[in-house]
Amino acid sequence: MNILSLITFLPAAGALVILALPKERERAIQAAALISSGLSLILCGALYVLFNRGTSDMQFVERIPWIPSLGAQYFLGVDGLSVPLVILTALMSFVSLIASLNIKVRIKEYFFWFLILETGMSGVFAALDMVLFYVFWEITLVPMYFLIGIWGGPKKEYAAIKFFLYTLTGSVFMLLGILAVYFNTTPHTFDLLTLLQSHAQWSSRFQILVFIAFYLGFAVKVPAFPFHTWLPLAHVEAPTAVSVVLAAVLLKMGVYGIMRISYGMLPLGFSWFLPILIAIAVINIIYGALCAMAQTDMKKMVAYSSINHMGYCLLGIAGLTATGFAGASFEMINHGIITGALFLLVGVIYDRAHTRDISAFGGLAAKLPVYAGLMSLACFASLGLPGLAGFISEFLCFLGAFARWKVCTAVSVIGILVTAAFFLRMLEKVFLGPFNEKWSALTDLDARELCAIVPLAALTIVLGVYPRPALDLMNTTLVHMAGLFK
Amino acid sequence: MFNLQLLAPEIVLSVLALALMAIDLILPTRRSQLPYHLGWISALVALACVVATLATSSQGAGPLWIVDPFSQLFKAMTLLAVIVTFLLCLEYEDLSLSQSGTFAALLLLSAVGLMLLVSATDLLFLFVSLELVAVSSFILAGFERRNRKSNEGAIKYFLFGAFSSAIFVYGLSLYYGAAGTTKLLILSQNGSSLSLWTPVLTGLGRQGPVLLLAMLFLLLGFGFKAAMVPMHFWVPDVYEGAPMPVTTFLSVAPKIAIMGVLLRVFTLLVPASGLGLTGLLALLAILTMTVGNTIAIFQDNVKRLLAYSSIAQAGYILIGIVTANSLGLEGVLLYSAVYIAMNVGAFTVLQAVGKNGSYELSAFDGLSRRSMALALTMAVFLLSLAGIPPLAGFIGKFYLFAAAMEAGRAAASSSSKNIFYALAVVGVINSVISVYYYMKIVYHMFFLPPHERSSAPAIGPYLLAVLAVCLAGVLAFGVWPEPLIAQMRISAVHLP
Repeated sequence: MNILSLITFLPAAGALVILALPKERERAIQAAALISSGLSLILCGALYVLFNRGTSDMQFVERIPWIPSLGAQYFLGVDGLSVPLVILTALMSFVSLIASLNIKVRIKEYFFWFLILETGMSGVFAALDMVLFYVFWEITLVPMYFLIGIWGGPKKEYAAIKFFLYTLTGSVFMLLGILAVYFNTTPHTFDLLTLLQSHAQWSSRFQILVFIAFYLGFAVKVPAFPFHTWLPLAHVEAPTAVSVVLAAVLLKMGVYGIMRISYGMLPLGFSWFLPILIAIAVINIIYGALCAMAQTDMKKMVAYSSINHMGYCLLGIAGLTATGFAGASFEMINHGIITGALFLLVGVIYDRAHTRDISAFGGLAAKLPVYAGLMSLACFASLGLPGLAGFISEFLCFLGAFARWKVCTAVSVIGILVTAAFFLRMLEKVFLGPFNEKWSALTDLDARELCAIVPLAALTIVLGVYPRPALDLMNTTLVHMAGLFK
Repeated sequence: MFNLQLLAPEIVLSVLALALMAIDLILPTRRSQLPYHLGWISALVALACVVATLATSSQGAGPLWIVDPFSQLFKAMTLLAVIVTFLLCLEYEDLSLSQSGTFAALLLLSAVGLMLLVSATDLLFLFVSLELVAVSSFILAGFERRNRKSNEGAIKYFLFGAFSSAIFVYGLSLYYGAAGTTKLLILSQNGSSLSLWTPVLTGLGRQGPVLLLAMLFLLLGFGFKAAMVPMHFWVPDVYEGAPMPVTTFLSVAPKIAIMGVLLRVFTLLVPASGLGLTGLLALLAILTMTVGNTIAIFQDNVKRLLAYSSIAQAGYILIGIVTANSLGLEGVLLYSAVYIAMNVGAFTVLQAVGKNGSYELSAFDGLSRRSMALALTMAVFLLSLAGIPPLAGFIGKFYLFAAAMEAGRAAASSSSKNIFYALAVVGVINSVISVYYYMKIVYHMFFLPPHERSSAPAIGPYLLAVLAVCLAGVLAFGVWPEPLIAQMRISAVHLP
């Protein structure tokens, strides 16, 4: 069996093991989850080492006929665009599973759904057949519905069904798009690599229509304005670890889809949409940041900051340069790591204080020094402080977009300013000022939380100082991709 | 020349059904389940006969009927539904056992009707088969004589059924007036080759409008039986009142057999496109999906909810009939097979959960805590009905939507292009709507705490067997659909 299949299906195998375990054996269930996801992460390490950085071709390809009558295949493979995301998925899932060890109720179901979710997410990035891609894409919905709906906050049921319906509405149009390209290609095929070369067969009108169908699916996931309204709700209601994977991985499925399919497969549709895309990017950046500024709930603030950061990704893509693409790809990784850490940190304080209201705290820095340090680090990384990972990717996004969109890029910089403002305001209100005696019983991070957060914080610094390990991984593919646009 | 041997399965089954009726008279123990056992064994025997005639050498045409891979597949599916119904009866306590022989005989006769239906090539023969099904189902629906809802449902079913039969017969008479025969297919002199009786295709001429009217009335008559909107009003009451196994039977077997007939009549024998009826059929499909799904949202009774869901499901199948291309044909067969597994599965869980007489949504509260396995099984069936991959329902819907997209691409005029694309778009939007109410049941099962004193539903060996087979089918054909699709390809072969 090939390495990509193992990475994708080890978590699912773990889920089946968990299903077979009796629900009283909580330790065994947790161990099964950590082991299966951990093995997947270790294999991702191998993938990182073995990946050939010198080619833009698909690597580790597996191709088995799946539904020959329809021409659908079981076809996996990664290139420089998807390999960082596969690794990110394994990493963030493992970190989230560690953070999930404090789940107290219905442990068996929780880890079962979580592992199924991991399989779905890895599969989306590795699949190179449109039907397979769609199947994995949809597989992520059901576990997410249960994870939000059972272990979430007060309005969890509403958030869960809203998430489900919103995303499904987008993705069913994607299904129609997939069918449309299938039937309009001779010979009919679902093979993504063939479809990427087939756009010469399609008229401009067809490409625009299909682009819209795909874009509906991707924009909901990104989420791009105006399809973002499910996100704050889902984030606020979801349990901490689920928020982490939601922000760190699920949103990236949308950006990945736009880069891989909308851009690569439908160039005429993409160039038609480009002026709208840049506008949406700017709106996402500024509107997301301003919304975050208006929040008093820390988790909601971080959720809106995700919308803002996804705007940077879209901006980088709209630049249509290798630099911009590198910015967007790297921003996906960095946002995954940094926002993942932020959600974990917000979860820490919520577990202890049962509130996330920014103004309820004050002077916590003296009481919780480690927590304050890590939180400041994550916030600074998120607002783009040089020396930390977020700066490099945001800088690349702006740099890549500036040549083509001078005014829009300039306007977008306001987003950075606002981001800095709301993060600093949050740090000030929570950690500085007079200590609120109400919180004198709070304790600093415990071992489980440190295990989850410290690796992310370390990565933030490492990638901020020396980003080449990540950038080299994707560079060849992105240069090739940028060269495709005429 | 009569080729009566072609109908061997139906003949065997009719004889066994009549024998069962006689058994009821001589059986000493009044409270015996023996007829149910004999019933499913009879159906199994007939199924064996059908499977034996799957080989093409034993197929052909009689004066009023035709036996081809297409009809044999629908017969096999009908018989599977009948077997399942008998197994469900074995664990359904509200059914009076004093007349179990009659019940079994009626169920078998109704199966015979359905089997003849998908083979019929003569409208008169079709009508008689249809009535055989209808009359037996009226009685079956009202079999819980002490239950007022059961009585109400049966009466409504009867009145609507009688009305629809009248419309059908009227259509038949118009057809005879226009065509001078009740045949849809004629046999050439030596009996070796078949040719279509197609006054439609050879120019509508003077009889054109009459023939169109005739086909329209026939379509309405079928529409009642298949519960297409706007001829669906009897469905929720009948489904709610009928004994649970009968509801299960009604929700799959007649619906699918009628879809088979519609496919044969309106795409193969008298193509709807030749009559200019494609737009109307598309409208019926859109209405059936949308109305079924929309009303299902507001149901609190799971029996009624699944009743509306089954209306909507018929709408999806209609897409395949409207498109009338080979993908659509295979799609209808595929979706029918998958639909049996997932719908029977969902109804079986409902029967197990509703054992203490309540089929309200609240009966599902906290099912995951009472019986995790049952709740997960139900979730699988519901997600499959909603068309979420990697379950079999997704593959079926994928095929149907693909058929619509292909028909749209291949259509000559832009107006018919729009019809097919609209079908696909409405279809996918309806899938989203349906998720809302299917998830409502999931919500009750997983998100709400169980009531006090409520325990895990008891499941006997027969229900367990049905559930296991349905679950295995939905999961296996979702992940690995190729064998099923290959079989449907073979079965999509039809005469002439």
